[in-house]
Amino acid sequence: MKLHTNMTLNRVADEVWEIPASEKAGMLVPARIYATEQILASMDNGVFEQVTNVACLPGIRRYALCMPDGHWGYGFPIGGVAAFDPHDGVISPGGVGYDINCGMRLIRTDLTLADVQPRLEQLMTELFRRVPAGVGSKGFVRLDRRKFEEVMRKGARWCVEQGYGWHDDLGRIEEQGCIPGADPSKVSDQAVARGISQLGTLGSGNHYLEVQVASNDRIFDPQTAAAMGITGHDQIVVMVHCGSRGFGHQVASDYLKVFETAMRRYGLAVKDQQLACAPFRSPEGQDYFAGMNCAANSAFANRQVITHQVREAFGAVFGRPAESLGMDVIYDVAHNIAKVERYEEGELVVHRKGATRAFGPGRLELSERYREIGQPVICGGSMETGSYLLVGTDQAMRETFGSTMHGSGRTMSRTQAKKSVRGEQLKQQMAQRGIIVKAVSMSGLAEEAGFAYKNISDVVETVDRAGITKKVAELRPIGNIKG
Amino acid sequence: MTYQFTFLEDVALADAAFEASGDSPSELFLAATQAIIETMVNPDTVSPHWHQAIEHQAPDLASLLFDWLSDLVYLKDAHGVVFHEATAVVTEDRPHGGWKARGTLTGEPIDPQRHELRADVKAVTKHLYEVRLDDERWVARVVLDI
Repeated sequence: MKLHTNMTLNRVADEVWEIPASEKAGMLVPARIYATEQILASMDNGVFEQVTNVACLPGIRRYALCMPDGHWGYGFPIGGVAAFDPHDGVISPGGVGYDINCGMRLIRTDLTLADVQPRLEQLMTELFRRVPAGVGSKGFVRLDRRKFEEVMRKGARWCVEQGYGWHDDLGRIEEQGCIPGADPSKVSDQAVARGISQLGTLGSGNHYLEVQVASNDRIFDPQTAAAMGITGHDQIVVMVHCGSRGFGHQVASDYLKVFETAMRRYGLAVKDQQLACAPFRSPEGQDYFAGMNCAANSAFANRQVITHQVREAFGAVFGRPAESLGMDVIYDVAHNIAKVERYEEGELVVHRKGATRAFGPGRLELSERYREIGQPVICGGSMETGSYLLVGTDQAMRETFGSTMHGSGRTMSRTQAKKSVRGEQLKQQMAQRGIIVKAVSMSGLAEEAGFAYKNISDVVETVDRAGITKKVAELRPIGNIKG
Repeated sequence: MTYQFTFLEDVALADAAFEASGDSPSELFLAATQAIIETMVNPDTVSPHWHQAIEHQAPDLASLLFDWLSDLVYLKDAHGVVFHEATAVVTEDRPHGGWKARGTLTGEPIDPQRHELRADVKAVTKHLYEVRLDDERWVARVVLDI
């Protein structure tokens, strides 16, 4: 097997590869990569270098991990997971990413493909009109600083209080859509200025809103699917992928700068400038954690306002209120975040960057609805292929700090993708395959072509066979909105 | 005009990277500014109705350029604008021992109907970031988070 690294990799299970701590000077723990042979061979050199750099960070426990959708990122690889002791360990914005609480939300409906197909063009136009996307887009929610601070503290709960959602939505969101400990005094005026008008917007890049179909032949665990609200029979669902927009990006940028200085004060050295970090218990570490939680809550609020707009759009097109269309949230998960969670070692600061929490059955953090079956995990594929709904397992709790993959993972650069296909051409090709696309930027559309990504089914099969999440259903796109 | 920039293909798989260069620090700043402008929008579709002065000083040229470029990302979101072009004058800040830059950005409020929008830049990053002098030509490598 030819790899993009000369490092030693020992196979410790069929889908788990370990780089020993002796491989690089400064590694405190081994690194572990979840991958099949084929996926491992496709991983870029950045994955191996970066996951072993993470293994050098102070206070890291057990392993530095990378999921099968892993690829090069800033500091941490995308797909990276690492847990640190809160007493002698660090917190690093590079382990969270610029788009704090970038995440996925899945909304069910009682509608079927037969109901939607005749009005799909109208539906996509209505969704495109109601959910702003693209460079610098602004939302319809007008906030002043005081109200924006409430959003930072309350997250999705604020939205429900304002009528942008149903009370029942909150139990279907990670952390009930409101992470405690958010402190608006720890975010800069610049961050506020960037984010205050962006609530309810998608952004661009790989963010999207997608109308999808759940067919009977692509449901792998009917009982769990039914418990989550997936009934099959060509059922229509809506998937949303976006994060904290300019607000979270600025919080991350601000604290990377703070941490560069703080590292000198605390005598910390890292292998990569983008791994800038501070002791979790230090004033700088706690300030970032409080600011990051503001951004995380604003991301939950962002996806909640988008959900409101999606319901309004469906209501307008089908002439019935969303309640009568069964438009419940199935779940909302963060895949760029740092959180304090309890494991056998005690409390740990778990960083997930391009990785999803995947708590198994019984965890008290889960609402009663999902405590028995485990947490729904939503993984977005490319806009041309499909996406997956999975469920967390006990094995993930034991092996990966309750974490799993988040998407397919890119294999081709944006520039190369644009050279391979034009946006208009791709839009037409997708229309011929029954997928209607509404995009603000045609070049941005070309950058997100399906061939620029790994095959998500291969990635999902890996985590399923490894046992850290189990497949529930595959969801096929029929309409996509992109920035 | 002797400044130029090239987008780099294999530096940032999921994002955008460019190398900018000029015969002087001012030209380097113009090149890098134009590269980030063109990452966000086709500047030919943007009119220069909106103006914003930018001024920064920093102990070294790399920090100065980083702060300067980060301003464009901030202004794009905070003012809801995309850019047409920029001016930049970069000089040594002799009394303070560092560098300073002054310039003006032009553009207009975002209008998806008229502007050929491209990527929404999240941040200027320090990944592989460098500013160097190569054979009397100033060169910067910049990776943008998209």
